[in-house]
Amino acid sequence: MEKEMMTPTSRDRQLVYDDGPVKVMIYPALFFMMIGMAIGVFMAFNTFVIPNYFSGEHINFGRIRPMHVSHVLLLWLLSANVGLFYFMIPRLCGVSLWSPPLAYLSASLWWVALILGIYSFPWGTNVGWEYAELPMWVGFVPIKYLLILSWVMLAVNLFMTVAKRRYEKMYVSLWYAMGTLLWASFTFNLGFHAINYIPEGMTRMNANFFYVHNLVGMIFTPMGVAIAYYFLPKLSGLPIYSHRLSMVGFWSVAFVYAWVGAHHMIHGPASQWLQTTAIIFSIWLFIPVWTVVANLFYTMKGHWDLYVKNPAIRFLIMGNLFYLMTCIQGPLMALRNVNEITSKTDWVIGHSHISLYATFSFFAFAGVYYVIPVITRRPIWSNALSEWHFQMNIWGSIPFLAALWIGGFLQGMQWATWAEGSTYAQFHLKLAQLPFLQTVVDMRPWWLLRGLGGLVILFGNILFAVNMFNTIILQPTPAREVA
Amino acid sequence: MSSSNSQRSIDKSALATIIGIVLLFSTAIIVTLISPRHLDPSWTEPSSSYQQQMFEVADPNFFISVSSDQEKQFVHRLQAGYTLLAFVESPQLRIQAPKELQQYVTREGEPLLLTSRLLLLRHSQEKNSAGDQVEGSLAKVRVLELYDPEKEEAFSLAHSEGVLEDWVDRDFTILDPGVGVSFHRELGVIYVQNPEEYKIRKELGKRGMRWRYDSHGESIASLEELKGHTLGFVSRQQLIRHGEEIYANEGCWYCHSDQTRTLVQDTVLNGSDSYPAPPSSANEYIYQAVTFLSTRRIGPDLSRVGIKRPSRDWHRAHFWSPVTQSKGSLMPPFLHFFDNDPSGVGGRSVALPNYEFESIFQYLMTKGTRITPPTQAWWLGRDPINTLAIIEGRQKSETRALE
Repeated sequence: MEKEMMTPTSRDRQLVYDDGPVKVMIYPALFFMMIGMAIGVFMAFNTFVIPNYFSGEHINFGRIRPMHVSHVLLLWLLSANVGLFYFMIPRLCGVSLWSPPLAYLSASLWWVALILGIYSFPWGTNVGWEYAELPMWVGFVPIKYLLILSWVMLAVNLFMTVAKRRYEKMYVSLWYAMGTLLWASFTFNLGFHAINYIPEGMTRMNANFFYVHNLVGMIFTPMGVAIAYYFLPKLSGLPIYSHRLSMVGFWSVAFVYAWVGAHHMIHGPASQWLQTTAIIFSIWLFIPVWTVVANLFYTMKGHWDLYVKNPAIRFLIMGNLFYLMTCIQGPLMALRNVNEITSKTDWVIGHSHISLYATFSFFAFAGVYYVIPVITRRPIWSNALSEWHFQMNIWGSIPFLAALWIGGFLQGMQWATWAEGSTYAQFHLKLAQLPFLQTVVDMRPWWLLRGLGGLVILFGNILFAVNMFNTIILQPTPAREVA
Repeated sequence: MSSSNSQRSIDKSALATIIGIVLLFSTAIIVTLISPRHLDPSWTEPSSSYQQQMFEVADPNFFISVSSDQEKQFVHRLQAGYTLLAFVESPQLRIQAPKELQQYVTREGEPLLLTSRLLLLRHSQEKNSAGDQVEGSLAKVRVLELYDPEKEEAFSLAHSEGVLEDWVDRDFTILDPGVGVSFHRELGVIYVQNPEEYKIRKELGKRGMRWRYDSHGESIASLEELKGHTLGFVSRQQLIRHGEEIYANEGCWYCHSDQTRTLVQDTVLNGSDSYPAPPSSANEYIYQAVTFLSTRRIGPDLSRVGIKRPSRDWHRAHFWSPVTQSKGSLMPPFLHFFDNDPSGVGGRSVALPNYEFESIFQYLMTKGTRITPPTQAWWLGRDPINTLAIIEGRQKSETRALE
């Protein structure tokens, strides 16, 4: 298998793949990525730097924030990842997609439901569950049921493709993909639908955090890892370092991730044993992460010159580095004493951005850089622009993330001063000396830095979208074949 | 041949993989999602019978007028055989009763007498000179007459906004206990004190039917009339539910958490001047369709806001212009919680809080006010887990360790 990965195109060439489904997922995703990030930058300035310069019922922070999150999470990242799955799974199986019409049907439900649902937020349709804010209904359109249906169609399509595969052995990306399709089918069902039918109160809250963490841990993580494991060998021409290590990673993901949802409620009203269970499993998250990180770095061993030459590889490797940082942070944030300081501060926002943006979006960028020339049979329009894209993402994300972590940590330390003393009168005096709103005011410089970093990231990614647009539209089909 | 064999064995292993995934996943679901509510009673049992009675008995029967061109009106719905009533004399109030109703009047200093019979108070019919003298004296003693309206349902003027209801849990007697419904058997009960009938006077104005409160006006005929188009009263239960929806779709929860964590700084942040707030317990959330523990505090935590900020006027000013009320706040103004003075008769240039405002206000007022009865309240230093001793004791043990 690893040998095959080195010369992948020799086999792929025997078969003409229908890449229509890839296009209908990835092209709109690139567009919505720009919109989503632009909304993020708008909020960073309009809420945190010049508060409420533009204000009004429909553009208040609370109405706009779910638009940003849903754009980058669902319209960009998840859609792009599904597109990359439509690309790589048929190629890993050596057969064409089981049913392209089913893929088109799934994609059309997907886009209609997501766009209608997400663009209804300014009119107050947020249902109030984190990462599942989409309304059940917009008019007569059952948004969440359409999404579940679309996902099930995707799962059936890809499972059938795997079932009739020509290559006997299954590469690790296929394992991760199959896991994702199974876990996601259940997770979406729980978070979108079943949560309305289970008992109210903490039971629902707990189910929501289970859903939230599964979305990240059992959907975005295995999708991202599957993509990295597929595209790094493709881009570099190097075999993956260890298949066994990747299987250890897969099974530890399957074992650990579903248990950690309650670590969003540490020190909260959830039962202590539940919190402790979540903390223990959170620490075990080191295992799946380090296997992936080590595997990808060892793959590059002795060939680091490729890192300098190819922006897509740089995105994968930098993404991998950020993945390492995410997953050092994550388990530590679950510890009770660290959580006391970092929880409820901007540290958390920094953590969600390093995982979903700096890790998995970077992986998706790399995948798109590989996929677009193959499906359009044209070389990338401008390598210089790709280079700018990479540099702006790096130099934008460092101040962006650092501002959130440092600012968040300092705010957490300020809050902790209210616990200094030995009597309630002393605690209360501390609060009088440093009121809550003062700790908000003290965040301003960090929020400015975050906004500026976000602006750089936004421009970098607009360059990326322009580059991809020009690749698809502008250049005439070259005579030479793109490998 | 060998190829097809290996194909088959691979597919077996694929099947085993799927079964493995499903098994691991379902174990996690059983332990972390299904079992907690069966292992930890605080996930399902109300925190106190006061909490339960507030949500189940008081809220559906407390009505608020939400038309924005009028002063707020608060009305109790009284039902014969269900609502508990008390008629209590005080230095400022004397109650006259016909002989057969004398037993329902609680005289000064006596244990509280409650009844589920539907009785009401009204201004004394006998215009005797003695009564007038009492009314006119410096002490301002009112004299009211107890009577039986012989109705199954009546509406009485509420004496407060009802964030906290009247509650009794010791030295009380329920007369005619046979007719009571289940909550009457609890250790303590919510009751309505000294109900006077809520009466209105309707007038046909230029802009259609108008009405105002008038103690000499006509009675409210039915619940339908109270909730109907003209009067437009809404139950507090409905307002709280709508407030929860507003809290969800305005995205309040992106900046405000709803949990006092088991951390000293949280009990202090949410505490009163003298006492720390008790940490949130799972059963505080059992009456919510959506729960907003939240993951970020860009604004302060709201789990005890009903005690920290109980003023309607404060919230009205704050929603209109948060940065004026709270310097440094990032909260946007919520102008859509206010209507322009729709009838023009108010003569005020400021906008008036509307249904949305009343809903979110009532929702916020449930936070931290219903954990225990007001007689056992944390803001009086009587919280059930004694947070004060815990946080001060913890600090002492740390100090010892340092020495």
